[in-house]
Amino acid sequence: MENNAQAALSDGATGNGRFTALLNATGISPTGLTMIIILLVLPFIPPFNQEHILRWLVSAALLGAQAIAFDFTTGYINVVNFGFAAFLGVGAYTSGLLAVNLGLSPWVGIFVGAIPAALIGFLTGLLTLRLRGIFAAVMAWFVGLALLGLTRNLVDLTRGPMGLSTPTLLNTSSNRPYFYIILAMMLITYIVLRKIIGSRYGLAFRAIGQNMDAARASGINPTYYRVFNFTVQCLFAGWLGGFYAHYFGILTPQLMLTARTVEVLAIAYIGGRGSLWGGAAVAFPFIFLIEALRSNLTELPGLHLVIYGLLLVLVMIFYPGGFAAFYKRAVAWVKGLRDR
Amino acid sequence: MKDEALLKEPFPVVFRRWMTSAGGITILLTIVVAIIAAIDAGPFIIVNTVVTGGMWALLSLGLSLVFGVMNIPNFAHGEFFLIGSLTAYFTFNPLRLYLKENPSPFLSAIAPLLGIFLAFFVGALLGVILEKLIFSPLRKRSRDQWVMNSFLLTVGISVVIINSVQLTWGANFKGIPNYWNVDPLDFLGVNLSVDRLAAFLLAVVTLIVFWYFMRRTQTGRAVRAVAQDETGALMVGINLNYILSLTMALSAGLAAMAGASLLFIFPAYPTAGLKPLYVAWYVVILVGLGNVSAAVVGGFIVALLQTLTSFYVGTGWEDVIPTAVIIIMLIFKPSGLFGSEVKGIQER
Amino acid sequence: MLEVKNLNAGYGFLQVLWDVSLKIEKGEFIALVGPNGAGKSTTLKSIAGLVTPKSGDILFKGEAIGGTPANLTCRMGISFVSESLNLFTNMSIYENLLLGAYTIEDKQEQLDTIDFVFNLFPRLKSRRNQLAGTLSGGERKMLAIARGIMSKPSLLMVDEPSLGLAPKLTLNVFDALETLRQGGMTILLVEQNVNTTLHITDRGYVLEQGQIVLEGPSKELLENDHVKKAFLGI
Repeated sequence: MENNAQAALSDGATGNGRFTALLNATGISPTGLTMIIILLVLPFIPPFNQEHILRWLVSAALLGAQAIAFDFTTGYINVVNFGFAAFLGVGAYTSGLLAVNLGLSPWVGIFVGAIPAALIGFLTGLLTLRLRGIFAAVMAWFVGLALLGLTRNLVDLTRGPMGLSTPTLLNTSSNRPYFYIILAMMLITYIVLRKIIGSRYGLAFRAIGQNMDAARASGINPTYYRVFNFTVQCLFAGWLGGFYAHYFGILTPQLMLTARTVEVLAIAYIGGRGSLWGGAAVAFPFIFLIEALRSNLTELPGLHLVIYGLLLVLVMIFYPGGFAAFYKRAVAWVKGLRDR
Repeated sequence: MKDEALLKEPFPVVFRRWMTSAGGITILLTIVVAIIAAIDAGPFIIVNTVVTGGMWALLSLGLSLVFGVMNIPNFAHGEFFLIGSLTAYFTFNPLRLYLKENPSPFLSAIAPLLGIFLAFFVGALLGVILEKLIFSPLRKRSRDQWVMNSFLLTVGISVVIINSVQLTWGANFKGIPNYWNVDPLDFLGVNLSVDRLAAFLLAVVTLIVFWYFMRRTQTGRAVRAVAQDETGALMVGINLNYILSLTMALSAGLAAMAGASLLFIFPAYPTAGLKPLYVAWYVVILVGLGNVSAAVVGGFIVALLQTLTSFYVGTGWEDVIPTAVIIIMLIFKPSGLFGSEVKGIQER
Repeated sequence: MLEVKNLNAGYGFLQVLWDVSLKIEKGEFIALVGPNGAGKSTTLKSIAGLVTPKSGDILFKGEAIGGTPANLTCRMGISFVSESLNLFTNMSIYENLLLGAYTIEDKQEQLDTIDFVFNLFPRLKSRRNQLAGTLSGGERKMLAIARGIMSKPSLLMVDEPSLGLAPKLTLNVFDALETLRQGGMTILLVEQNVNTTLHITDRGYVLEQGQIVLEGPSKELLENDHVKKAFLGI
């Protein structure tokens, strides 16, 4: 998509320059825009206008948004936040609890919930990111398990495994408006993170991700940038958690399980490390495939997770660039055909 | 060997220095806490600590070994534990039913050990398969960002194993009431079942054998050599692939053995490996990444911490309190209580 | 014994060696000298199997060994003492030496070689239980060379033994090499200390920018104008 954006820029000099320039500023390529437009009209086209399929679309967009945030850290500074789901859970529970106990509007709560998630992320990062990446991964995992334990045990506050009923964002039984909300959130996540990647911060991230020593030698303070990156990721995780809370209307500690993190991790990697958009692109077909599998093969629970795991392993060994690299190669191939 | 003694420092000096190091203080503190708790709550605290501690030691040691030698942060380590308990279950359970029909004291005594040793070999075999099928191809392709890539691979492996187990055998608990159907022994006023005693003895024997292997045999030395300097190991003629497979086999085998030995406490079910994985990682971070001998001590320390938490604070909190402890530790001594043996815990 | 023919090697896209050829007969003491970055270490690493050659042949005792991994070249009788030494820092001197004899199965043979090595470097004997990581620079060099001869190699390659050593220790190391050569070992020595090296070796090769520019008996090289100008500062 980056390539495309650059191609679009050079085209823009001759054609409708202002529009492409705007598009370029958001980091969305023409192909990406086409996909977004398709997604915008999809909820009206049968069979996608059925409520249960709309639900899949919402899940896919939510997963895609998470994958974008996840890749912002793994793909650029090479740190795996293995407690990602828990940070999402912090946002969800904060927003949910504020709405239930203080009557705070979910629309505000979504944003407020991101703050504690970012704060916990910041502290975890501060503690571990001066050490090797594996410390951050393991500690984020421990912190995640501790948060999971807390939500399970503080029954008076969170109602524990019984689940916390939260008010929904909208007073409607239709999934369609929610789809537009989460799609917007996904796009905002992408545009903001793409902006950061495009700034000098992004340069620093890449430098750190590729060679810590060289980065340090050129005056970059790795710990500062890594903590910044990690905190931003947790901020977005918390924000998306807010949507989770006020879409499903019920929160259980289950949402903080490591298995949830693994799901996001797998999608982000299969989508393509360091691309940001790859996870979002892969999330839609994946959710459909997996939901279809799940509803048709109820006697084989867990089969979809086996597929996740196998794909993750295969991508890691044989095609480390994931879908994004495949796409890049395919585009280059098509271009090659055209130019011939 | 004659002049050896002359060169060594007098034992009291070494001992005093060691006792004032972070590791020494930790061990001393652990023993004191254990004794106080035992007086306060009863000797069962020590019994529980020692029994699970031995197995946690086997588990953490394997995890630490694989990280030290192969640089793989293994998140599928708990699945070796699971495979071990499954193997023991499927070996021992038919035997148990058979013995009900045809009693035989000798076979009854030996049957549990059969399952446990078979678990070791199945685990080791799985370790070798994973090394050959997954880690070796990745190593050949690229060693860039190896730690993170291998970490993700192990996550994938873990997901595949957990869910394949669920697909094959379902999610129900597969446990046994006990290995040896004998009356418990009376030990310090505590009912100590033979199973627990056996688990502890097995752990001790395994640890001694392992220690001897690593320190006194050429192959064990080669394993340590690879951990310390891979190029140096190649230069003296060590076959790297062989050592890497062996390391994985040992690590997986020990974890499987722990799973099999504890089957009577922890039944086998798809996600049974999660808890042991957490414990092993906890130990390894606590004592110092890659520090194999400290992992053994750490196993007992963490077992005590768990026993105390569940007795004094209540079950359900055993994830929360250890996390708080480890955060405090990371603030003051990030290289772990006993120091890390991996080159540089700071990011390079 | 060792013949290198038109060797091209390097790291990734960076080629370091260009058509390097060497020939070493059994029992010879050969110097490979040249300025920093000329490719001396790369030559040794290619022979030892730590670097895979792009093209060219390496023949050892008549067998082609180009691209053979280091653990196998070691078994064939090539021992390499690298510049960074690659010692096992968390192990004692004694354990390092035992590992040096990894390719030797016979226990008694291992112990005999250790005795021999301790005679060569008495300093190591008195510190046999000390961890390699706690040794001084000179002791580390000695240990690395000692470990290198534990496998009873027929060809010993030593990379920059004098680097960072006090002159007196350097002489100790060179004396030890001299002793080994008198015992019949073939030695390929890489050095920046050109003067001393050419005084103790039989023949020498001069490597500059990845190519052999001069070769010949060490005595003649010492008299050579180019060598005098470039390395001896005369």
